[in-house]
Amino acid sequence: MFERLLYFLRRALRNMRQSPFLCTAAIGTVAVSLAIMAFFAIIVLNVQQVTRHWSQEVQVVAYLDQVPQEEVLKGWIDEIVSLPEVEGVSFVSRGEAFEAFGKRLGADSDLLDGLDKDILPASLEIALKEEYRNRQGVATVVDHLRGHQGLADLRYGQDWLERFESFLDLLRFAGFVLGGFLLFAALFIVSNTIKLTLYARREELEIMVLVGGTPLFIKIPFLLEGALQGALGGFVALGFSYGLFQLFLQRGLSSLLLASGVSRIVFLPVNDQVFLIAAGTALGFVGSLVALRKFVRV
Amino acid sequence: MIQIYNVCKAYQKESSALNDITLKIPKGDFVYLTGPSGAGKSTLLKLLYCAEKPSRGQILIDGLNITRMGPLKIPRLRRRLGVVFQDFKLLNSRTVFENVAFPLEVQGKKRYEVSKKVYQTLKMVGLEHKLQRHPLELSGGEQQRVAIARALVVDPLILLADEPTGNLDPEVTMEIMELFKGANARGTTVLLATHDREMIRRFPRRVVSLDGGRLIDDRTP
Repeated sequence: MFERLLYFLRRALRNMRQSPFLCTAAIGTVAVSLAIMAFFAIIVLNVQQVTRHWSQEVQVVAYLDQVPQEEVLKGWIDEIVSLPEVEGVSFVSRGEAFEAFGKRLGADSDLLDGLDKDILPASLEIALKEEYRNRQGVATVVDHLRGHQGLADLRYGQDWLERFESFLDLLRFAGFVLGGFLLFAALFIVSNTIKLTLYARREELEIMVLVGGTPLFIKIPFLLEGALQGALGGFVALGFSYGLFQLFLQRGLSSLLLASGVSRIVFLPVNDQVFLIAAGTALGFVGSLVALRKFVRV
Repeated sequence: MIQIYNVCKAYQKESSALNDITLKIPKGDFVYLTGPSGAGKSTLLKLLYCAEKPSRGQILIDGLNITRMGPLKIPRLRRRLGVVFQDFKLLNSRTVFENVAFPLEVQGKKRYEVSKKVYQTLKMVGLEHKLQRHPLELSGGEQQRVAIARALVVDPLILLADEPTGNLDPEVTMEIMELFKGANARGTTVLLATHDREMIRRFPRRVVSLDGGRLIDDRTP
């Protein structure tokens, strides 16, 4: 069994050595296809950073009629924190609210001069866990707080939340459609390139069939070859996209996204890098499988 | 060894390549399949090595009905046959040794078994000193000897040859015929398609003649 596997591997490697041009073409095609996908993934990843940053704005603010005694307030906060959707609650006193408002006004903060520092109400700022930063999560928390005496007014930016959710839906849809399209295009191109390499070897395939090669025996080395070329293409794509990321993409995305509150532009994380190489391997394997169906007929 | 009953093969509706062929070839026989171009010689050979299926009729090889054979059993049958073509069908990117070793590799033989058997077979066809050469470095006659070695290396029950000397000069043709005679003497049934009357005259054996897809004559000298 092990000897058989070695034989198949030797044949796959010999095939690659014997047709360096075709082998390079197949690796190049996989590399280009995957590099395009990697680029797309980098952009999506960084835009997701922006949306994650924006989603921190999704919070519920409960304004207090009267600031209760410290123990009562602590009880309220504990009660709210115990909700499964809630990440944390911070109390903003009247003074802190006034100060924050002044900071927000910036150069115009002198407009507040002479005003009573108790003019703004105290509030509880309720931050939600990341998975609940959506319309439904907010609604659940708000429903719970509505019956609470002492919480006069609840604000959670309904309009903004709806727009934000629509934007996220659009982003997901675009990612799905574009990613799917890229994947199919890559599979189509890779499968056709491998078809060309098999066309160049049709005589060998014909002779294998003639001397009694079983379909599996004939196909395994070609599938291994496709998988190896795919994996190599994945590595090349990774190196290529990292190079271009350092040279151009990082700078381009920085100018677009840093202003939106993202702290830094990131490259693909290790998991995605491994996925890219695995995708290359699968692409080469499936591409060979599709092409072989046409050429190997007993 | 080979039994063919009422076999027809039609590629298009109104023209048939073979028409109602019935033929029996006993084990160890040497048969020439002759006739003009388009007579159906190659088609009949293709039916025997299962490259084509007959439109009608039955073919039995060594008692096995190959017309009912599923795609998984066809490779097993082919391993018991040797096929030689006019255009040699060698892999030019591989050495003589690798070309001859190919059918044994397909059968999953061990490396040392392969080396031994390939060397013996190449010695039999007189090419043991050229095993590291590539086919394109050899003459036409030598290339055909490599193709015959590839067919013989598996000790086939039947050797099918489709115009094996069609591209060769008369002197080389005689050398090639000696190889076929040798294989036949060792017990292999040989079915050789040719339209070379001179060859049939010099090596007289049973002659089956086809014309227009029909069997018109079957004569043993």
